[in-house]
Amino acid sequence: MTDEKGDSTSPLATASSDSKPTAQRIPPETPEAISTRFLVIATFWAVIIFLGFPIWWKTTSIYRAHLPIQEMVDWADGKTCRPVFPLEIQVAAPGMQSPESQHLLRTTQHALDDLNEFAAHHLRLKLTNETSTAQQTEDSMEVASNGEEAPDTALTVRVIAQDGLVVPKAELHADTTQLDVFYPPSQVPVPSSSNPPLSVFIAEELQRLYGEEKATVAHILSGEKSGLDSVNPQFAESISRRLRRSMKYADTYHLSFSLFTPGPEPSSWDIEAAVQEYLSPLLHAFAPISNFTVDTQVQLYATFSPMAPPPVYDEVEAAWTLKKEDLSAFVNAAEWPLNPSIGNGPTLNFILYVPAPSQAPMMVKENRASSWIVPQWGGVFLLNPPLSPAGKGSNPAHLSRDYLRPAFMTFSHQLLTLLGTPTTPASLPLRLQTLIRIRAASLLLSASSTMGSLARLTESLPSIPIPATVASSVSITLSHLSSTCSHLRSGRFSAALATARVAETEAERSFFEKSMVGQVYFPDEHKVAVYLPLLGPIGVPLFVGLIKELKRVVAGWKARRRAAA
Amino acid sequence: MAVDRRKVAIFSAAFVLRLVLVCLFPSLPDLLTGRVEVSTPVNSFKRLQEGLFLYTRNVSPYDGGVFHQVGESHAMQLRGFSINSIVQQAPLLLPLFALLPDVKSNPLPSAIFYFIVDLVNAHALANISASGQSVQSRLHSAIRKHIRWDGGSVAAWFLFNPFTIATCLARSTSVFTTTAILFAVSNAVSGNSINAMLALGLASYLSLYPALLFVPVVLLCYDQRAPKLPKIAAFIIQNASILLGSVAGLLGLSYLITGNFWEFMSATYGFHLLVPDLTPNVGLWWYFFIEMFDSFREFFLGVFWLHLASYVGGLTARLHRQPLFVITSLLGVFALFKPYPSISDASLYFAFLPLYRHTFPFMRYTFFAIAAILYASLLGPAFYHLWIYAGSGNANFFYAITLVWSLGLSILLADSIFAVLRDEWEQDHPEARGSEVKQV
Repeated sequence: MTDEKGDSTSPLATASSDSKPTAQRIPPETPEAISTRFLVIATFWAVIIFLGFPIWWKTTSIYRAHLPIQEMVDWADGKTCRPVFPLEIQVAAPGMQSPESQHLLRTTQHALDDLNEFAAHHLRLKLTNETSTAQQTEDSMEVASNGEEAPDTALTVRVIAQDGLVVPKAELHADTTQLDVFYPPSQVPVPSSSNPPLSVFIAEELQRLYGEEKATVAHILSGEKSGLDSVNPQFAESISRRLRRSMKYADTYHLSFSLFTPGPEPSSWDIEAAVQEYLSPLLHAFAPISNFTVDTQVQLYATFSPMAPPPVYDEVEAAWTLKKEDLSAFVNAAEWPLNPSIGNGPTLNFILYVPAPSQAPMMVKENRASSWIVPQWGGVFLLNPPLSPAGKGSNPAHLSRDYLRPAFMTFSHQLLTLLGTPTTPASLPLRLQTLIRIRAASLLLSASSTMGSLARLTESLPSIPIPATVASSVSITLSHLSSTCSHLRSGRFSAALATARVAETEAERSFFEKSMVGQVYFPDEHKVAVYLPLLGPIGVPLFVGLIKELKRVVAGWKARRRAAA
Repeated sequence: MAVDRRKVAIFSAAFVLRLVLVCLFPSLPDLLTGRVEVSTPVNSFKRLQEGLFLYTRNVSPYDGGVFHQVGESHAMQLRGFSINSIVQQAPLLLPLFALLPDVKSNPLPSAIFYFIVDLVNAHALANISASGQSVQSRLHSAIRKHIRWDGGSVAAWFLFNPFTIATCLARSTSVFTTTAILFAVSNAVSGNSINAMLALGLASYLSLYPALLFVPVVLLCYDQRAPKLPKIAAFIIQNASILLGSVAGLLGLSYLITGNFWEFMSATYGFHLLVPDLTPNVGLWWYFFIEMFDSFREFFLGVFWLHLASYVGGLTARLHRQPLFVITSLLGVFALFKPYPSISDASLYFAFLPLYRHTFPFMRYTFFAIAAILYASLLGPAFYHLWIYAGSGNANFFYAITLVWSLGLSILLADSIFAVLRDEWEQDHPEARGSEVKQV
């Protein structure tokens, strides 16, 4: 190819050059030959200039959709939105007169504000009508999630008079968002008292309930660096422990339940019914936060890894024991078919291990526990079934739903931990609400910082293309971020999480756009290697011809001027 | 009538030779049809057959979306998993071939049709030779007029060229482009500019690239009719409109046949322009575009096409006194640099070269060029076999051979241009005839 161009232009040169050696015998080139040569060079250059350069310009120009860089950076820097968490708490005092209850509310709010040192997360008390019950709370929650304007009710406090009490007593319902506060009738706050003990009690109780959440939110908002010590040292340990164990947030988690046993039995388990009965309610409760897929498997003759220390028989316990430090080697990752990932999204593995009859019962040596969590991976449960009566020393062939109950109770608990649910309020709905707020905050921050990274990336690499899809993803992200922020401000946390999830998904999509990623690793210097091998050899004769021709024209022009002068 | 009898003998011998080849080796046409050196995606008879099958069953053979596979990985394309439309040939060929009997059950009629097309080509070539344009034109008169071959010899050279025979037996559709080009030129040398333009329109319609021959063909017509036509600009415009009209008419006919204009346009001319199918061939494009980064693909498509087109202006300007030789050289350039060249393009160039028998004495590298071409034609199939079937070679083997082939062709091309220029120069400087020259 390269010599081709040289060859085909060389005859053009021939016309001029082959006259030079014989110049002494024959007259130099005729003007006609010179003009022909000029025409030849001109046609080549005309093609280059009038067709070549437009094509070059058109085909190598990079489409860069406009991105709102400043807005994206502002989000990343936290200038656009300061996330706040105003929690609405309804107070019902069926046994009190209206002025009394309002006074109680006011004083409690004062006490709460005095106790609170983290402004972004604060509790707002609101008096409801007297007949407020748990049922109605449910209703009002539904209304709140349906209606656009009403904030979610985080908690309902019922203040109930009870005889025979000396000091107030609080009782949290484990399955609803209701806190019952019982007080001796003598402690009804009189409107004159500025700091009634009941108000102080309620305020402290609420503060205690939300302490961990507050610390977690502070930790997240402060960028996960210094927040732990500054806000609430007493929760620092538990939060960091929880963060170590829990999975990174994902839109979809895959739950994989596996039954492993070293022998031929049990070969079947009532897994579908067990999941349906023990797990589905929990997954349903998690629906606003994440999606889940469930798959299961049974693996027989699953042996321990040869590296792992085998269980040791403990005479005192009359059981086979595993040492705590050996638990990390329990899962035979090399041979047990545990999928690292199914589709996109992380997989949580839950392993139900039924020991061989010769090694049953099996437990952890130090604390006699039969289950443990593998941080950011899943959980293990050792099921020691009663040996089947038919033949001594054989496991039952089938594990019924009731056998699986303890295992699935444990798995549910492990799932909560792995998903990062806080531990403290005893009520599960409250913990899930807390998780919603925590996730909304972290998604808001992560989508914002992705926007900032994308902005920095496109600024620092002016040669990468920005497809229109990226621009539209960015605008979706930004609009959802701002609606997340406004939802948070008005206390609608479920809605905030929903928009934050969309924002996060779109942000990830725009950042990992394929056609952009490919270009990142194509620096400008490489273009020399792309252009030069072909265009260099083509260009050299063209340029030499052009220069010669220009020289001749300039010389002729000078000669004419001299002649004229 | 002696000449005529000789011509008849040559033509019938060529016909019988082809017939004997087909009858003695019935598998030979199919074998040749499958060879990458002969059949490219744009002229493959096999693809035409598949399209014909669809066409006779009222399914659009151009449906398939060429543009969807532009970014397809080359590994896929090399293994033949292309998902482009089946046919890249012009739509008018479909009803033409629908008239012929089915090839599978009765291959002889279509084979004989191709033989006749070859003979018609040879006849046109003999006419061109008989016109004497190559030695004596309006602005040029060669000095060694006596050293030349007559029409019969030129036709024989064309008919018995193994490349031509292979193309004919492989039933490649570039034969029709060859016919159209030859008719355009043979009409141009007799000054029949309207027929020439209509034929050139057909050639452009079939293969797109012959449109680049417009300028030299018009010059050739103009040379014939110059005394009567003083204004060259008006003549060019007039002929350009005839060419455009004929192409538009053919496209209109195609639209009537296919019913979907853009579909067949993108499947045929889009295919020529964008080169989505990188099946190996004897050209220089496929390997380059396999290796090319995707983001630069469009740019280098532009570069390659411009490179091909840029010769038109330069050669026409330099050799404007011999437009027939401009056509010859451009055909050589096309055989080298077009996106899907096959040996049929080379055979067309080789058919024109003997018209310039009188310049052969000036050529200096004939041995080297012919050796390179023979070497490439013998080793090319061998290396392709090593790569694709034996698996002991790789793509570079075949590409190296196509480089040698291109080298041989380009040396021949440059040498012939040099010879003709030297001839022109001697005409201008009769006193220096026979002196030694040196090419720098």
